[in-house]
Amino acid sequence: MRTKTLALVAVIVGLHLVLLFAGFFAPYDAASQNRDQPYAPPTRLHFINASGFHLRPFVYAWTANTSSNQPGAYSETRSVEYPLHFFVRGSSYKLVGIYETSLHLFGVDEPGRIFLWGTDGYGRDEFSRVLYGGQISVAAGITATLIALLLGCILGVIAGYYGRWVDESLMGVTELFLSLPWLYFLLGLRAFLPLHLSAIETFFLLTGVIGMIGWARPARLIRGLVLSLRSRNYVLAARGFGASDFYVLRRHILPETFGLLLTQAALLVPRYIAAEVMLSFFGLGVTEPIPSWGNMLGALQQYSILVSYAWLLAPAGALVVTSVLYSSLADVFHSRLESSLT
Amino acid sequence: MVDNSNKYLLQVHELKVTYFPANGDPVRALDGVSLDICSGEVVGILGESGCGKSTLASALLKMLPPQAKCEDGSILFRGRDLLSLPERDLRAIRGQEISLIPQDPALALNPVMTAGSQVSEVLRSHLPLNTQQRRQGVLDLLREVGFNEPQEIYSTYPHQLSGGQRQRIAIAQAVACRPALLIADEATSELDVSLQAEIVTLLSQIRRQHGTAILAISHDPVFFAGFADRMAVMYAGRIVEVASTDVIFGRPLHPYTQALVRIATSSVVTGAAKSARLPVIDGETPNPTSLPVGCRFEPRCCERMDVCSRRYPPEFMPAPLANVNCFKYGEHVD
Repeated sequence: MRTKTLALVAVIVGLHLVLLFAGFFAPYDAASQNRDQPYAPPTRLHFINASGFHLRPFVYAWTANTSSNQPGAYSETRSVEYPLHFFVRGSSYKLVGIYETSLHLFGVDEPGRIFLWGTDGYGRDEFSRVLYGGQISVAAGITATLIALLLGCILGVIAGYYGRWVDESLMGVTELFLSLPWLYFLLGLRAFLPLHLSAIETFFLLTGVIGMIGWARPARLIRGLVLSLRSRNYVLAARGFGASDFYVLRRHILPETFGLLLTQAALLVPRYIAAEVMLSFFGLGVTEPIPSWGNMLGALQQYSILVSYAWLLAPAGALVVTSVLYSSLADVFHSRLESSLT
Repeated sequence: MVDNSNKYLLQVHELKVTYFPANGDPVRALDGVSLDICSGEVVGILGESGCGKSTLASALLKMLPPQAKCEDGSILFRGRDLLSLPERDLRAIRGQEISLIPQDPALALNPVMTAGSQVSEVLRSHLPLNTQQRRQGVLDLLREVGFNEPQEIYSTYPHQLSGGQRQRIAIAQAVACRPALLIADEATSELDVSLQAEIVTLLSQIRRQHGTAILAISHDPVFFAGFADRMAVMYAGRIVEVASTDVIFGRPLHPYTQALVRIATSSVVTGAAKSARLPVIDGETPNPTSLPVGCRFEPRCCERMDVCSRRYPPEFMPAPLANVNCFKYGEHVD
């Protein structure tokens, strides 16, 4: 149980580090195009050539089949081998937006190309774009979660602690928000707001909108918890010793809500990543040229592309993996919380 | 009216508290309770479950639950009416001038904070001390309430302490700012008899050293013997008799007090006799949603008269600082 939990946490932390340092793990820039290689399938790693087995894998270049009219028919040119190198110098990028470097985890010598998960219609490396896009999508999910939990926590604590009409009116509003069909509401709200915004504005607008809609459920949960905490004897005792409301909230009530907030966070992050993906998929979220899992999947709205180039589903795979990891984390938090309450 | 505000620390006058449950009829928990407490005096409130003892304790700190309302009366503490004070001033009084020892110390301590820090927090909310002074203050307090190794107790968590130790921590919290009045609401009812005696000794000692007045609340008459100076007997939301502890145990006036004391003393003396049926008071306490017009104890009283059911008996003062509400005493024009 313990090792499983540790492994899970390690994988999740690893995933986020990879996304955070996307520039290092991605061999190419998210925007660099290879117009001569649209829809190239994933590059194969070879270990065996005419001279036998090699421990260091190598790749061949893709050559487009000129006879076929559909792009995406490629064959390997076996004349030149490009061995895979680690810690290579490539295109320069800013690590975490601050430190400028050109070091990449892996790569092949020019003019060779390595496309682990193929390329899209502009010949951009799908693997690099999934990493860069993940930065945007996961950051949007986490930011929206923070907004929703912050709002939910503040309003839930106020409702639960002060009770009476404050509680009733706030809970009325949460019921309203809970009864909203949130997807349609999100689409409607986003469509109502200006379409042409800078990328950073879009990002905050998007996370703001998702967070504003999502606060209701955590607020209800927190409110219920605070309601029971408020009548705990040690809270009454603290008030009996002259403690102020603020003090009671800070020392006795807020620390107790921490476990619940953590569980909620683990549940909400994948949901809000999916919400961002959905909005960007419909073109209402983050737009080109900045990659996000949503706008990358947007290309698959064309049926012919969906059926022909399976590797372009990579962002969906990444979304599934992230969601499963977060849900497992929520499970762990939840069982911890249960055992601490009993 | 004579100004008694210097003589009395606390004067409760005709206090009426009603609970308004979300569903159901309102319940009058306190129906005109009057009680005076002098400085440095130990007053015991004796009454059975549901008679309003704990409501009185929380009303004195103005900490009634939200569904309860103080409808009438006044609580004068050093001449100031607590009921009309704003919350801000009440906070300054709670803990510093009036302190509460809670009913169940196991629940009254936060399980995730150390014992020492919880005592320290009381000091912090009232006194301008720095961290070191506060720590020293807490250690002194812990020693005062009977811990020989306060350093160790300081950093233990409530679950590591025994019930008696937790009660001592709660007392340390209550006396931290040297309040003038200490309210002990069933402070020992969770503890076994030998620990009860220790806590009572501790409370007496605190009162001797600091001149703290104590309002002790219990359902057990024996708890007050040798501890309380005066006792007030409550029945169904009213105080029926106030007298010195000696009088209550020796020659009580009110039939309810007489019955209670008879039961308490007989269970001490003849409790071991298996064949003897333990004495009881026949009948039940009146339904708090529809209290009788006359004396509350009248339906169960063996000395009842016609007048008892017609109106509430007036106060009769057999001695200074004592009174009884019963038609048996005093002159009545009917």
